Amino acid sequence: MKFDFEYMISLLPKIIEFLPIVLFIGTLSFLLAILFGLLFAVLTTNKIKILYPILKVIISYFRGVPTLIQIFILYFGAPQIFPSFSSMNAVTAVIIALSLRNAAYLSEVFRSAFLAVDKGQYEACLSVNMTKWQALRTIILPQMVRIAIPPSGNYYIMMIKDTSLAFTIGVIDMMARAKLEAAVTYKFLEAYLMVGLIYWMISIILSFLQSKLEYYVEKPYRKEEA
Amino acid sequence: MIKITNLHKSYGSTDVLKGIDLEIAEGEVVAIIGPSGSGKSTFLRCINFLEEAQVGSIEINGAKVDLENYNKKQVSDLRKKTGMVFQNYSLFKNKTALQNVSEPVRLTRNTSRQEAEQLAFKLLAEVGLQGKEHNYPIALSGGQQQRVGIARALALNPYVILFDEPTSSLDPELVEEVLSVMNSVILHKKRTMIVVTHEMDFAQNVADRVIFMADGIIVEQGTPNEIFENPQNDRTKKFLKNYLKNQNKFNEVL
Repeated sequence: MKFDFEYMISLLPKIIEFLPIVLFIGTLSFLLAILFGLLFAVLTTNKIKILYPILKVIISYFRGVPTLIQIFILYFGAPQIFPSFSSMNAVTAVIIALSLRNAAYLSEVFRSAFLAVDKGQYEACLSVNMTKWQALRTIILPQMVRIAIPPSGNYYIMMIKDTSLAFTIGVIDMMARAKLEAAVTYKFLEAYLMVGLIYWMISIILSFLQSKLEYYVEKPYRKEEA
Repeated sequence: MIKITNLHKSYGSTDVLKGIDLEIAEGEVVAIIGPSGSGKSTFLRCINFLEEAQVGSIEINGAKVDLENYNKKQVSDLRKKTGMVFQNYSLFKNKTALQNVSEPVRLTRNTSRQEAEQLAFKLLAEVGLQGKEHNYPIALSGGQQQRVGIARALALNPYVILFDEPTSSLDPELVEEVLSVMNSVILHKKRTMIVVTHEMDFAQNVADRVIFMADGIIVEQGTPNEIFENPQNDRTKKFLKNYLKNQNKFNEVL
């Protein structure tokens, strides 16, 4: 069996050096996805005329076309029609593609979270004279967050992993580094296994943090004396 | 004074309220009884615009809404005169008992957090919930939740409190504690109250006036004595007879 364990370990610092860019792309895309996801959710639940069918098609596109193809369309294809896009750097392209794609998914998460909040909660807000905005901010949104955290956390982890597609348009990230190493030494298994293990570790850590967060927001819903 | 004139409400082609006229004096306690589906709850929910009626007008202590021509501000002014206690409590699930009472005061009455919480502590003590202030609704029994609901409604100092079947979701042994809190509100706060209820004893013993509703209209109204001892309308008689029959059956089983 040919497996260079020492070589694999020696790659750890070289690859992990690019962890910041991975976390940066993944996290910024996630935050933008939440923002656009909320916007999509508001627009689709209110069924605003004209905008609604257009949005449905857009959401369907982001959900239906594979991420890699979306990145290519945006980075290599779009400048053909919008020449100004050609000055867009690769990191920006990945962030735009990832955030819009996941905004489409998250909008469905938020919409179902909104529908899952008991209608009586909003009525109670009105009965104590709260405005729509006060009701949303103090009662409805906090209850939505509780419902939305488990699926949203999944999307965050998925997005962090999807950043590994960025190397295909020239972003130097962990994957690009691993590929470079493998190309030089022909030790493909060691290089790709190492980068895979690092992603796995990130995912385990994020899952752990998510469960902590869930425990925290579940506090009002646990049967225990305060 | 509360003055409701010619209130009509329909869902599509189904008429739920077919012209309700009602005047209620300040401090009066009105119980609304009647068979299920008679429009009692819908009527109550129309008063604070949780449901929108289509025809008629509602006036509460100077705040008036004409249903065929009104704006948001008028609805908001009308709501400020009302508080509501819900059948399934509808406490804010993400807030403690204290916050359930204090937050609405803080948000809608321009009150500091400290002042609002002081008021909430006082009101929760009045409904017998000292020591439970920091419990979330899930850690309270149904009866305790409903008492928080009553404190929440009282905190805003509304002109009228609307009770929508406040004891219907409660286990029988918890009904008493909620009714006794309602009694003490009547005694000590002299608040105008409209109570949709299936508790005939409560209607008979506590209300100043009893209204019998059926099929979207007020069939008959009067003092508890008039309605329970000497009903005039056949529908009222039938309803009360059925009620008594069921009550007796229930007692026989026991």
